Amino acid sequence: MRKPSLHPLTWWIWAIGLALSVIRFNSTVFTFVCVGVVTVVVFLFRDDAPWGKSFNWTLKLSLWILIVRTVIGVLIGVPIPGTTIFTIPILSLPSWMPGIRIGGAVTTERLSAALTEGLLICTIIIIFGAAASLTSPHRLLRVLPVYLYEFGVSVVIATSALPQLVTAVARIRQAQLLRGQSLKGFKSWKRIAIPLLEESLARSLDLAAAMDARGYGVSRKRSRYRPIKWRYLDSIVVASAVLAVGLS
Amino acid sequence: MIKFANVSLIYPNSTTTVLENLNLEISEGEMVLVIGSTGSGKSSLLRLINGLVPHHTGGILAGDVSIDGISTQLVKPGELAHLIGIVGQNPVNGFVADTVEEELAFGMEALNLPSDVMRKRVEEVLDLLSLAALRSRSIATLSGGEQQRVAIAAALVTHPKVLVLDEPTSALDPIAAEEVLSILHRLVHDLGLTVVIAEHKLERVIQFADRILYINGVGVTKVGTPEEILMDSPIAPPIVHLARALGLKEIGVSVREMRRMTQAFRTKDFLRATHSPVSGDTKIISVESLGITYAGYRALKSISATIYNQEIVAVMGRNGAGKTSFLKAIAGINQPDSGKVRVLDLNPQNLKGKDRRSAIGFIPQEPSDLLYGQTVLIECTQADADNDVAVGTTATLLDQLVPGVSLQMHPRDLSEGQRLGLALSVVLSANPEILILDEPTRGLDYQAKRELVSILIAFAKNFSKCVLLATHDVELVAELATRVIFFADGEIVADGSAIDVLLSSPAFAPQVAKVMAPHPWLRVADVIAAVENS
Repeated sequence: MRKPSLHPLTWWIWAIGLALSVIRFNSTVFTFVCVGVVTVVVFLFRDDAPWGKSFNWTLKLSLWILIVRTVIGVLIGVPIPGTTIFTIPILSLPSWMPGIRIGGAVTTERLSAALTEGLLICTIIIIFGAAASLTSPHRLLRVLPVYLYEFGVSVVIATSALPQLVTAVARIRQAQLLRGQSLKGFKSWKRIAIPLLEESLARSLDLAAAMDARGYGVSRKRSRYRPIKWRYLDSIVVASAVLAVGLS
Repeated sequence: MIKFANVSLIYPNSTTTVLENLNLEISEGEMVLVIGSTGSGKSSLLRLINGLVPHHTGGILAGDVSIDGISTQLVKPGELAHLIGIVGQNPVNGFVADTVEEELAFGMEALNLPSDVMRKRVEEVLDLLSLAALRSRSIATLSGGEQQRVAIAAALVTHPKVLVLDEPTSALDPIAAEEVLSILHRLVHDLGLTVVIAEHKLERVIQFADRILYINGVGVTKVGTPEEILMDSPIAPPIVHLARALGLKEIGVSVREMRRMTQAFRTKDFLRATHSPVSGDTKIISVESLGITYAGYRALKSISATIYNQEIVAVMGRNGAGKTSFLKAIAGINQPDSGKVRVLDLNPQNLKGKDRRSAIGFIPQEPSDLLYGQTVLIECTQADADNDVAVGTTATLLDQLVPGVSLQMHPRDLSEGQRLGLALSVVLSANPEILILDEPTRGLDYQAKRELVSILIAFAKNFSKCVLLATHDVELVAELATRVIFFADGEIVADGSAIDVLLSSPAFAPQVAKVMAPHPWLRVADVIAAVENS
C-alpha cells in the first residue's frame, strides 16, 4: 500500500483534538478506545524512517509512567474511604508535614482513582507520541513561519535528535554486547546513556551549524520549492478529530 | 577570493594555538588541499572560511578572514551562504530534509530564490552529480557515497563561489571517492569554482590539488605547490615515499608522473620474490553457506569461507556490499537465516560475558560506542576488572599502542587515533582469539595508521591469532593484509592472497603497484626488498 502524503500539521491537529476529547470525556473505555485507534493508525501510516520507530518507545515510556504514577498514587495521598483491599503500615512523618500520609489502607477506590489518572496522562503522551512518529520533523519545519527562527532550529534539532537517539541506542547496545557486557540492570543503562548523550550533543551542534551555514533564517522571507498542499485527506483526518471533540 | 590576513586562532582552555599569523590568498578557480595530522586544526581552518569558527564554536580570532571582500567578522555564517557551500565531515549530521530533492532545495528556500529558478537549478545539480535517479529517495536509505554526493549537490545548488569540504572521501570506497573528486575537478575547471578541501588520504586527492596548506598542529603553517610541500613533509602518500626510497631528485604526485620518472628503474631485471602465503594451520572461523536478510533485502547470499590463525583478512567491497553484515555474523550479532557460523567450533551467538571477550574482540565503526568511562583510567581499570587481569594491564597496553595518553583525559577529548587505541587496548586486554575491526581508518592520519598496522601484525604473528577488518583503504590493505575477501552485492567475488586480489583489479590496486606494474609489488618496502635482493 502506498502511504498517503499528508500535511505535516494534520497529525498534530488530530492529536490535539483527540487529547481534548479524552480530557473532556474522562471515561476509561473511551481512553482505551483512543489508545487502540492511535496505535492502529501509527502502525498503518508511519514512515519507515527513524522517527517512525519512536512510537514503540513512547509506548514503553508511558507504561513506565503509568506504573510509577499508580504506585505513588496508592502510597501517598489523602485517604479515600471504601472497600479495603489490603493495608500497608503507615510511615510516621514529622509533625511539619501534616495532611500527608504514606502507606495505610489501600482501597479499591484509591487504586482505581490512581489508575485512571495515570491512564489519562499516558493516553495524552501516547497521542502526541503518535503525532511525532507520524510526522517528519523536517517537513514540519518547512511549514513553520520563518520568524519562529530560533524556535524552528530547536524544534528540528529536538525532533530529529530523538529518533536518532533510538537508532543510536540500538547501535551502542550492540557494541556493548560485543564487549561482553550484560544489557540488564541499571548499570547497563549508565553504560549506554553516556556515549549516547555525548553523541547526540555533538550531532545537534553539527546540525545547528549546518543549518546556519546554509543561510537558514537569514532572509525573513522564504520561498517554497514544492509548496506542501492541504489535501482533502488532511481535512478528513482533522474532521475526525473535530468530531471526537464534538461528541465528548 | 579567500584572504587570510595575519590570522591567529586559539580556543579557550587550550594551551596551543591552532593557527599563528597565517597569511594566505586563494584566488578564484584554485583547488587548495589542507593537510595535517588529526587534531591539528584542519577543520577549524575550513570553518574559519565561512565564520562558523568563531561564531559557532567560540575561540579567539585575531586578524581577518575575508571572502570576496566580505569580512567574516562583520557577518554571520548564514549571510555568506550564497557565497560559500560547506560540506562537513559527517554529511549525515547536517541533513535537514528527508528526500534528496527537498534537501537540495533547502538552501535555496532559505535564500528566498523564486520557485522557477529553484526548479532549474535542482535539475542542473541532479545531472551534474548524477543523482537524477535518486531524486525522490529518502536520504536515510542512501549509501555513504550517495549521501556524500547529495551533500555536495546541496552545497553547490546555491551557486556558491567557494566550496569547502572536510574529508569528503573518508567514508567512501576507492571508486566512489574517485567519482566525487573528478566531479570537483571538473567544477574547478569548468566553472572556476574555488575549492578548499581537507583530506587524510592524500593518495586520492593530491593529483587534483593546485596548492597545499600544511598545518603542523602548533600554529605553524606552510603553503606551496604539492611538490614543494611533499618534498620533506612527514605526511605524504605512498608514491612520495616511493620517490624518496628510490632517491629520485623530483617527486611526482600522480601515478602517470611517477611512471615516467621510474621508467629506467622498471626495465631493470629483478629476481621474482617468492610469496609464501602466511597462515597457520588451526581453523578459527568457519562460515558455511551463510545467508542474511534485513527487512526483505538480502545482505548476504550463501557465503562460505574458512579463516585460519595468523591470517589478517581484509574484507573489501563497495559501500553496502555486505562487509559489515559478514563481520557481525562472525561476531554473532546477526541472526543468519541460512547456513552456519562457527568460531572455535562454537556458535558465536551463544557467547556471553567473559567467554565472548576472550573469543572475539570487536571494534565497531564508532570505537567510542564501546567506551563509557569518564576518564581513560576508569575505562582501563574497568577492563582489568572485567577480564580478571592484573591491575594496570590495560593501561600498559594502551601506553604501548599509543604512548603519551593522559589517564585523566575524557575519552571524547582524545584524537581519533588515540580513541581507537583505547578501544583496542580495552578489547585486547581480554586476549581474544579473533580481532575484528569495522572501518578502523576513518579519520586516521598516516602516523596513526602506521601504528595500527604494526599493532595488528604483531597481534596476528606473535600471538598466532587472526584479524579481520573491513576497509576501503587500499593502501592499508597493501601494508597489512595477508588475504583479501572481496564482496559485491552480498556475494564473495574474490578470495585470495592480498597480492593476487589487489593486483587483479586496477581500481583497488595500491599506488606503488600502479607505478611499478607489471612488477608485483604492493608496498614501498617490497620495492626496497627487491632492489636489495637483486
